Amino acid sequence: MKPVECEWEAEVLSAVLQSRWPERVDDALRAHVAACTICADVAAIAGAIDDDRETMRASAVVPDSGRVWWRAQMRARREAAATAGRPITAAQVIAFACAMGLLGACFGATSAWFQTELKKIASGVAGFKIPALLPSAAALIAGHGVLVLALAAALLLVPAAVYFTMFRD
Amino acid sequence: MFRETTINDIGCDHALDNAAAGFVMDEDTFRAFYERTARGLWAYLTRVTGDRTLAEDLLQEAFYRFLRASATYASEAHRRNSLYRIATNLARDARRRSLARAAATLVGDDIERVPSGLDAAAAEHRTDFTRAMTRLKPRERAILWLAYAEGASHSEIAEVVGVRATSLKPMLFRARRRLATLLGRAPKGEKS
Repeated sequence: MKPVECEWEAEVLSAVLQSRWPERVDDALRAHVAACTICADVAAIAGAIDDDRETMRASAVVPDSGRVWWRAQMRARREAAATAGRPITAAQVIAFACAMGLLGACFGATSAWFQTELKKIASGVAGFKIPALLPSAAALIAGHGVLVLALAAALLLVPAAVYFTMFRD
Repeated sequence: MFRETTINDIGCDHALDNAAAGFVMDEDTFRAFYERTARGLWAYLTRVTGDRTLAEDLLQEAFYRFLRASATYASEAHRRNSLYRIATNLARDARRRSLARAAATLVGDDIERVPSGLDAAAAEHRTDFTRAMTRLKPRERAILWLAYAEGASHSEIAEVVGVRATSLKPMLFRARRRLATLLGRAPKGEKS
């Protein structure tokens, strides 16, 4: 198996980082590096990386520490508030949905015309005759347009409200 | 151990008035830690991602997640390792999310901007180095940078990049070989 490390590696690295390589090192170390692939690679790249590090650090433009701290605090507090408010929002949505369901159930159970219309629509759906549904739907809208629109709006708005409150973050 | 671990502020982590934000670290400790690490971390992220703007975004996100982690550390080295591990994971996630963007920038657009003040030879070396680095895999760039720019030990590098310490040595060897070859400084007959 090919060796992947060398006992001289640290010494070569130290010489490179202290700018002693290659002039101010022992002949023995120079001779070793000439014969050792691992140490030759270290000598080849360590200086280049170190030079680049110095240049990069000198040209680095990083935000002010105070600004980073302040932003982090604001964000953490916002997230904490959102997390704390989430169960209340969920409970409110569930309560609203229950109330709407109860209202609908009461309305359906007590309204004779609604049951009649519902049966007509159901028989129309069972027969897959869409044109047959239209007169029933038209009669329903004509007779109780506001209520139908309110129910349709609730059906659309409740899922949208749930989505935006629960998943917008 | 990472370089420039000169200020020993072990034991300075007091839970002051940051309970509302959920931070264990107080502002003074954070700011001192940030001053010691931000530039080095930015350079690391810039080299790993190949994108200066992305590096700045990831830098802020890394410090935020570091603060939110609310962990206590036995030493400055542990704290720094944790920050670099968070940053490395963020860079990896960012690359996965936008491979196409990364590929476009890795060809070398703004990262090849040569800082003013460098002479022609130094500028050329820097450009060659940047091009060579961008041809390495992100993990190779990360381990080389940690080893030779940050002076991290093998166990620290393994912890930061999320590999076993035993796997790191051959990975470091291969990464070094590739970079030396790309820089045209590999010994003859040893090109990988």
